[in-house]
Amino acid sequence: MRSNGEKFAKIVTGTITAIVFAVLYAPLFISVLFSLVEIRRGKILWETFSFGPYFTLWSNPSVLSALSNTAVVALTAVAVASVLAVVLALYTEWEGAIGRRALELVIYLPFLLPPIVTGLALLVTSAELGINRGITTIIVGHTVFVLAVSYRLVLTRLQSLPRSLIEASFDLGASRLQTLRYVLLPHLASAVVTGAVLALALSFDETLISTFVAGDQMTLPLRLWAMMRVGFTPEINALVTLVLLVTIILALVTAWRLKPGGELGEE
Amino acid sequence: MLPRLTVRWLIFLLIASVPVAFIVAPIGSFLLISFFRADKHEIIRELTLFNYVNFFGNWTYSGTYLGTILLCLEVVAVSVLVGYPIAWFIWQQNGSRRYLMLLLAVVPLFMSYIVKLYTLRSMFGLNGLVNQLLLSLGILEKPSQLFLFNQRAVLVTMVVIYLPFVILPIFLALERIPRSLLHASIDLGAGAWDTFRRIVLPLSFPGTVAGALFVFVLALGDFITPQMVGGTTGFTIGRVIFSQFGLAFDWPFGAAMAAILFLTALAGILMAGFAMSRQKV
Repeated sequence: MRSNGEKFAKIVTGTITAIVFAVLYAPLFISVLFSLVEIRRGKILWETFSFGPYFTLWSNPSVLSALSNTAVVALTAVAVASVLAVVLALYTEWEGAIGRRALELVIYLPFLLPPIVTGLALLVTSAELGINRGITTIIVGHTVFVLAVSYRLVLTRLQSLPRSLIEASFDLGASRLQTLRYVLLPHLASAVVTGAVLALALSFDETLISTFVAGDQMTLPLRLWAMMRVGFTPEINALVTLVLLVTIILALVTAWRLKPGGELGEE
Repeated sequence: MLPRLTVRWLIFLLIASVPVAFIVAPIGSFLLISFFRADKHEIIRELTLFNYVNFFGNWTYSGTYLGTILLCLEVVAVSVLVGYPIAWFIWQQNGSRRYLMLLLAVVPLFMSYIVKLYTLRSMFGLNGLVNQLLLSLGILEKPSQLFLFNQRAVLVTMVVIYLPFVILPIFLALERIPRSLLHASIDLGAGAWDTFRRIVLPLSFPGTVAGALFVFVLALGDFITPQMVGGTTGFTIGRVIFSQFGLAFDWPFGAAMAAILFLTALAGILMAGFAMSRQKV
């Protein structure tokens, strides 16, 4: 038997949830709509409906160069972060590890700190070392930012592996290296992939750290920001729609891989 | 053959060198220049507390900092008040419906930050959705400018952007409560409200605190939101710091303010870690 109070609570919280979800998804719906039709004085001009903006986008050189920068940054940063994450996780789980807690705090810091701190720390360092800001500094910024995510996923997986697995490998005469190669790494692979997808989504969107370390280079969010300052066109909304779709797909892939009872189980 | 302890330290140095070079050293270097002084765009490399004295002695800066902390506390309060009921509602759902709704709550985290800002800005603007809605409902007679370019707009926008960060930890905390505890409470004759107040609320408290602190830290350093929707009144410490690295070009002073921000954020992070470790179930 459900009480009336509980029913009432569900109606109230359900209403709040519905309103908030509508607000949270407003950016998506508004961009999709405005990429397809034009708006004048608050009126939607349905006769202007067209997929045109999605095609003209591909002849805009500044968008294309921002897109290629974003791709280079995201792929490099995620690749480096994934390798680092595996090495660091194997180390912190090794019984001979020194300063494990301090090391973990350092790994998590760039993800947990306000991005302004990470961004200007890297800005100051590159200036002190006389390094020109550009793609390389953005890659470093994104790598330290996404490292925490990859590390966490790999570590959780590593901790869930039964110790008997490794003991069995040693008992069967495998060396440390062979155990790593044939037992540990295959088990870590899917966690690394999930971490990489999540990291790609984060890097694709990262704006605040990039602002500090980008120099005169543009990533997609920075280019979007610059374009939006000038004013909205259907082309910008088309670009926004594509950007949102890419990140949402990456997020959904992550969610599907992390699903309870799914491949990765209770992570 | 090297002694075991030496090998352990060598491996540690090798492994730790990367995080140290790319995370610890940059943080250290901005902390260091916060003790230098800028003179006409020139950094004078002598250790001094000049920037910190300047910050605490000048109400323009320390007042902005306190104002930012108050704003972030408001953001946290509103986020928790809105986020908790949502997390609770999602938790009440069954099976795949629950998972789907959780997904719906988390996916906005991945939607471009800049895009969210611009959409909200256009919604609050003179010709925006909010004004149109209030006009058509007859609540307003003419479009109002009250929804944009003030502290309240910054507050609302930050809540919308950071809300998923509280929903997720609260939901995870709720989900860890064993169903058996709830059944036991009902069996012993407690009503739905008593069960919530005495069992659900206390057990989900650590997760809620962690989520709240996470939002606090993120909102604290945000410098684009106040700039975009705050107009001239929406000055926060993040914006002041950012301007020191742009127009004002006083890196040491900007670094000093960032150092204070860093310490505040670090305290928040450590407290969040402590709250999580207190999770009893």
